[in-house]
Amino acid sequence: MTKKKVILTFSPINVEKPITFQLVKNYDLWVNILQAKFKPNLGGKLVLEIRGEKGKIDKGLNFVKQLGVGVELLEQEVLWDRERCIDCGACISICPTGVLCLDKVTFRLNFNYDKCIVCGYCVEACPLGAIKIIF
Amino acid sequence: MPVNRTFEEINCKIKKKKAVVLNAEEIIPLVEERGIKKATEEIDVVTTGTFGPMCSSGAIINFGHSDPPIRMKKIWLNDVEAYAGLAAVDAYIGATQLSESKNIEYGGAHVIEDFISGKQIKLKALSPGTDCYPRREIETYINKESVNQAILFNPRNSYQNYNVAINTSQRKLYTYMGILLPEMGNATYSTSGQLSPLFNDPYFMTIGIGTRIFLGGTQGYIIWEGTQFFPQSLNIEKGRIVHRGGTLAVIGNLKEMSSEYIRAAVFKGYGVSLYVGIGIPIPILNEEIMKCVLIKDEDIYTEIIDYSIPRLERPSLGWVNYKQLREGKIIVKGKEVPTSSLSSYAKAREIAQKLKEEILKANFFLQKPIQTFSQEGVALKKLLEIH
Repeated sequence: MTKKKVILTFSPINVEKPITFQLVKNYDLWVNILQAKFKPNLGGKLVLEIRGEKGKIDKGLNFVKQLGVGVELLEQEVLWDRERCIDCGACISICPTGVLCLDKVTFRLNFNYDKCIVCGYCVEACPLGAIKIIF
Repeated sequence: MPVNRTFEEINCKIKKKKAVVLNAEEIIPLVEERGIKKATEEIDVVTTGTFGPMCSSGAIINFGHSDPPIRMKKIWLNDVEAYAGLAAVDAYIGATQLSESKNIEYGGAHVIEDFISGKQIKLKALSPGTDCYPRREIETYINKESVNQAILFNPRNSYQNYNVAINTSQRKLYTYMGILLPEMGNATYSTSGQLSPLFNDPYFMTIGIGTRIFLGGTQGYIIWEGTQFFPQSLNIEKGRIVHRGGTLAVIGNLKEMSSEYIRAAVFKGYGVSLYVGIGIPIPILNEEIMKCVLIKDEDIYTEIIDYSIPRLERPSLGWVNYKQLREGKIIVKGKEVPTSSLSSYAKAREIAQKLKEEILKANFFLQKPIQTFSQEGVALKKLLEIH
């Protein structure tokens, strides 16, 4: 069993396809919807946590890509600019899922993408503008 | 014989590269191991550091004269207004001034950071024109090579202590202490604690006017007490003294600074501020000073203040020490509250370390204060309205 967090980008053309249902039924995957943002006639984004056998996850995501839906790993859309970050920690207490913490020894920031649900709270809490979400 | 060192003796050792220098973290275990007497004999200097948002910051720039010349009456740098009420081409760009077009996204602090990075800054100035300064308008670009002087001059930096901000209301608050979640969802604080300059010399025994400091990556100076200088100590309970309210006015050559140690910041819903890196060397002149630099996070207390009451005097929800704050959780009214620092401990440590290395390389010498700060009879004054 492996786990992957992905962000699916829908265009107005493929927005009505029942993708999560097919991922569950045809590829035997556990799909957890972390966030969904859709606008009528404009498409939208879906943040998923997918669990299952690695081979099946890859096949499932291939199927999604073939439908013309954009598939990006969460890390590719939640951008943490290490150079800009000053390791203050302003983002830490605002995060609802404990993604961020300061290393106990170095006091430098750690960003645990596994726990991220792309809520975007850290983006507005960061005084340096070091975190961006392409969403 | 107890140690009684002078600044001159320490500088002599620095020159010969024989000075023994530690940062304010390293000194703690060393003294615990060797005792105060022995450690005072061995150690010459302890370095401190802080890197936090300091709103009362800004820069004086002299642009040089155009031909025909202009006496600038209104000035904008990258669309951020600078104060022009000085001589013809002198201006003061304040860190918190906001852009006319981008508003809170860009401000004086960003102009300062961009300037340090060597970027071109758009200058626009207007004037009514005079016989001696006939030009009425100019639009051009400046950068750190093109201007005569650029001086960082911050009237209030390096706060000794600052309170912890919390929010007991039902509404999310956007403050200069960052975002405060409703119902005490989080708490924020802002100091480097045991590494912070003014905690390591709380009685200003070695720090005063003329003290040479690390400022924004170069050498700068303390030029006065900071505004709102109010370094009273408070006895919160038996044997537990809290220092707070000491501040510093500092100056240095902006052209020599680095954006590693001067950074613009935006506090959403509040405004723009400037992160300033400051490091101050504390000369170990005697055992009394050595006792001061031994201060640890667990010994430094600060007050938890409820920011949901928008008044000058806000309710206190108790006291907490920096060790508890830095561990990431505090207990307030029986509730566990996650904490965030706004100042960077990692950067503070980096600054204290860099200052230490500069002293060891004999690039940085200690300057004895020309005058120390008076701590008597100071009290914060209120602004009264006319009734």
